[in-house]
Amino acid sequence: MSEDKKQGDPIMQWVTFCLGDEKYGINVMQVQEVLRITEIAPVPGAPSYVLGIINLRGNVVTVIDTRNRFGLPSKDTDDASRVVIIETDRHIIGILVDSVAEVVEMRASEIETAPNVGNEESSKYIQGVTSRDNHLLILVDLNKFLSDDEKAELDMF
Amino acid sequence: MTQAKPPPSIVHQQLALDVYLQTLLDEVPEADEAVSVKPAIAVERLVVEEPIKLPDTVPVVTSSPKVSSKALVRNRQTKLVEPEIPAKLQALSIMPDWSQYEFQALFFKVDKLILATPLIELSRTIKIDRKPTKIPGQPSWFLGLLDEHDSRIGVLDTRQLIFGKSRGMQPDSEEYPFERILITQDKKWGLVCDEILSIGKVKPDGVRWRTARQKKPWLIGTVIDELTAIIDVKQLVPHRKNS
Repeated sequence: MSEDKKQGDPIMQWVTFCLGDEKYGINVMQVQEVLRITEIAPVPGAPSYVLGIINLRGNVVTVIDTRNRFGLPSKDTDDASRVVIIETDRHIIGILVDSVAEVVEMRASEIETAPNVGNEESSKYIQGVTSRDNHLLILVDLNKFLSDDEKAELDMF
Repeated sequence: MTQAKPPPSIVHQQLALDVYLQTLLDEVPEADEAVSVKPAIAVERLVVEEPIKLPDTVPVVTSSPKVSSKALVRNRQTKLVEPEIPAKLQALSIMPDWSQYEFQALFFKVDKLILATPLIELSRTIKIDRKPTKIPGQPSWFLGLLDEHDSRIGVLDTRQLIFGKSRGMQPDSEEYPFERILITQDKKWGLVCDEILSIGKVKPDGVRWRTARQKKPWLIGTVIDELTAIIDVKQLVPHRKNS
């Protein structure tokens, strides 16, 4: 590939995690840290996709039930469960995942748009898909993972 | 041949009109009964004059339709406009091309129901041993994506698309044990099915076509002998909003 083409087709790094049988990727630049599962304090009256809050070195961080958000059946946490602390639009939140897999590199040109047959709102956070080791990797746009209203609501916890 | 009875004394306008119409219907010249083929075309032209009232079944005609003498008279009284296209083709204009000729159909089974679809709308069928990758936020009838050769196929739950969510969504829906997928011609979509049965030839006149398909546009007709529903796959699959 020529130098010009490389510049127009940047390499991006993605942290991959698993939920059920599927593997997802999120932009490594938005991942602050990955935590083992700790006690998550439930918040009364919180939406169903909010698991609760954790104390992260003196800061209160809301943890999102990613399975609930993705419409997957709930599952008890185990030793592989992780809370991935991410930053999205100046909001720090945690997302609970079944396990964290690896960091992969890929060019922007490798990402294909996923077909959207539902309403725009329900899958707006799906950035695209790409093939990886004979599996499809679903790439999540964390900036669209929560709506502005939802982010504002999380600040209230 | 019945002759028009002499009208009673006409008082009311409506009565006069009724008598006039009755006279038109009853007075048939003897010579017209010998006419057989040409008036048959006139009948079809009559359909063109009223395009809104499409027949329930597509007039796939292999021989001249039988026309009663009364119909012939009615046609003679109607001022017909010479159509540029034969009426038969006009009526078929909303039907896909393949429905106008004998076509090969694939017969398959979905939830104990035997269905057929023209082979021309499919590219291939595949047997799979892995689950499609589920994409979050999509309807339950979208089972996920599957990489197959050079194609990325959106796999669709045919049960839900055909029977609707209430019947299609069974408790075991998450683990729907499908093995076969019919891949559409454009290789973008796959329709899961329980079993592929056979390939057979279907003649247009052996099908009861649905020309008015505001509801269930994918149900294009029924093979009369087998009472098998014919599915128009292009109408069954969604239109991708992107890609």
